[in-house]
Amino acid sequence: MPHQPTPNRDDRRRPPGAPLPLGGSAPTGPEGGAGRGPVPDPGALQETLRGPATLLLGLYLVGLFLCVAGNTASGTSLLIGTVKDRLFAPWMVPLWLDLGHDTRLTYGLPEDADHHLEIRPAGKGMGRPPATLRFPAQRDHSERGARWRRLAAAAVLAEEDAEQAGVLPAAIGAGSFNAAGDDDLEIRIVRSVPPDYESARSPSGTETALEVRVRRRDGELQLIPLPPAEEVAPLIDSAPVSSGGT
Amino acid sequence: MGHPSSASVSELASAAARTWDRCWFTPKTAGRLAVVRALAGLLGLLLAWSWAGDLDAWFGPDGIVSPEVLGAWRSPTALSVFDVARTSAALWTIFLVGVGGLGMLAVGAWTPIAAPLAALFWASLLHRGPMLVGPADDVLAVILWCLVVGRSGDAFSVDRRLAAADARPSWRNGLSLALLRLHASVIAAAAVVAQLKADVWWNGTAAWWLAARESTRVDLTGVFAGSEIATNLVTHAILLFEIAFAAGVWNRWTRGLIARAGLVGWPLVGLVAGEPMWGAAMAILAWACVPDDDARR
Repeated sequence: MPHQPTPNRDDRRRPPGAPLPLGGSAPTGPEGGAGRGPVPDPGALQETLRGPATLLLGLYLVGLFLCVAGNTASGTSLLIGTVKDRLFAPWMVPLWLDLGHDTRLTYGLPEDADHHLEIRPAGKGMGRPPATLRFPAQRDHSERGARWRRLAAAAVLAEEDAEQAGVLPAAIGAGSFNAAGDDDLEIRIVRSVPPDYESARSPSGTETALEVRVRRRDGELQLIPLPPAEEVAPLIDSAPVSSGGT
Repeated sequence: MGHPSSASVSELASAAARTWDRCWFTPKTAGRLAVVRALAGLLGLLLAWSWAGDLDAWFGPDGIVSPEVLGAWRSPTALSVFDVARTSAALWTIFLVGVGGLGMLAVGAWTPIAAPLAALFWASLLHRGPMLVGPADDVLAVILWCLVVGRSGDAFSVDRRLAAADARPSWRNGLSLALLRLHASVIAAAAVVAQLKADVWWNGTAAWWLAARESTRVDLTGVFAGSEIATNLVTHAILLFEIAFAAGVWNRWTRGLIARAGLVGWPLVGLVAGEPMWGAAMAILAWACVPDDDARR
């Protein structure tokens, strides 16, 4: 008959302060729980707290579901958007938990391609002057470089939004005056376009996704779409450029 | 005595309640969560490093992402402790305090303070520059808040060394691990849904579009250009892996296998996708999904 280890029903020999054995039960020695009912597990959630904890958990699960359903690139229904924004966004947004999690990796579309920034003094005389700044640097595969690529892509995508259009290119220009040593800059966002799979052996091409001229005149920041537009419009009434760019 | 049908409904409700309790509130030791904590802290430090190099250029007094730019970008309910930083010195002070929090989290020092500090810092940093945020940042934010729930400093930590931590199983560890598992599954499922909206994931060429990007870390274009079958295979394998992961972590028979596969699979997907940090963050989530043999059941 195989040896059956006797369950340890008495832990009086346990060294003082030693933790309870994993999976073990509460002491049930002669002075222990016999006839007194189960001893509460100190690691378990108290019965009185299970209800509130379950309620909070359920609320969070609903919020998570609405975020996933409501924060997709395909848009969302008015109902889901309203419920999420009214009830969940006020506390999930500050925690950065209002995420759709729609990590698509790629759609194979132009906007999925890499973008980079080129900043040069605005054309003076004939020809285009060479770029003085490039973000990220060529062959920069770091996470830091990836943030610059996201910034450049965000500036291009924002052109479709009336509220955000032009804001980032102007800010990039204003922030680059000092580094470029000029108050009149051309900001060019270049997209690297991979070849189609059918022409996979071809080298990647590039295209200009956005090109603007940003200059500061009498303390006022001006954004000029390129090719030159007919009028020069002030971008921000109280332009925050009094102390110069970075 | 009650009616037989009401008795069965009551039994069903009791069984559901027990399943719910077992899923969310089972006391667990801190070992697995402590590893998640250490890895998340290290990943946070790595990601913070990628913000540090251009902190002034982005968020400084004359930086690109000025409060005016931010106003057009972020949600009205968003908050960031960086909003109070009007000088470069203040900006760096807040940043370094946050980095300190991540460091404390990595080694498990004063973990009950370090965990919320790191999570708050991370959310604040992302709210300060939302247009610079990548998928690894998002996943790390989720992991950090899950760590706030648990007692991850109870093992493999400075706290444990100083005997300031309790090694007994706790329901908070069980809840934290369950939340990590939930998010791991939801992120994988949401990624699949997003990818399936595009033709390239159906016709098998998505892997090509990932590999052909300038920013890719591993150049697989030669392999893919030479074999369409290989391109299709990698594309479909990524999708199948994500589907298997999203569903598999909920089944007790497949959970161990799929979670361990995630430790390798997610970093590989991250490398192919040009998002290695995201792959690493997902691998941390996969680690949280591995069944715990020493856990109380």
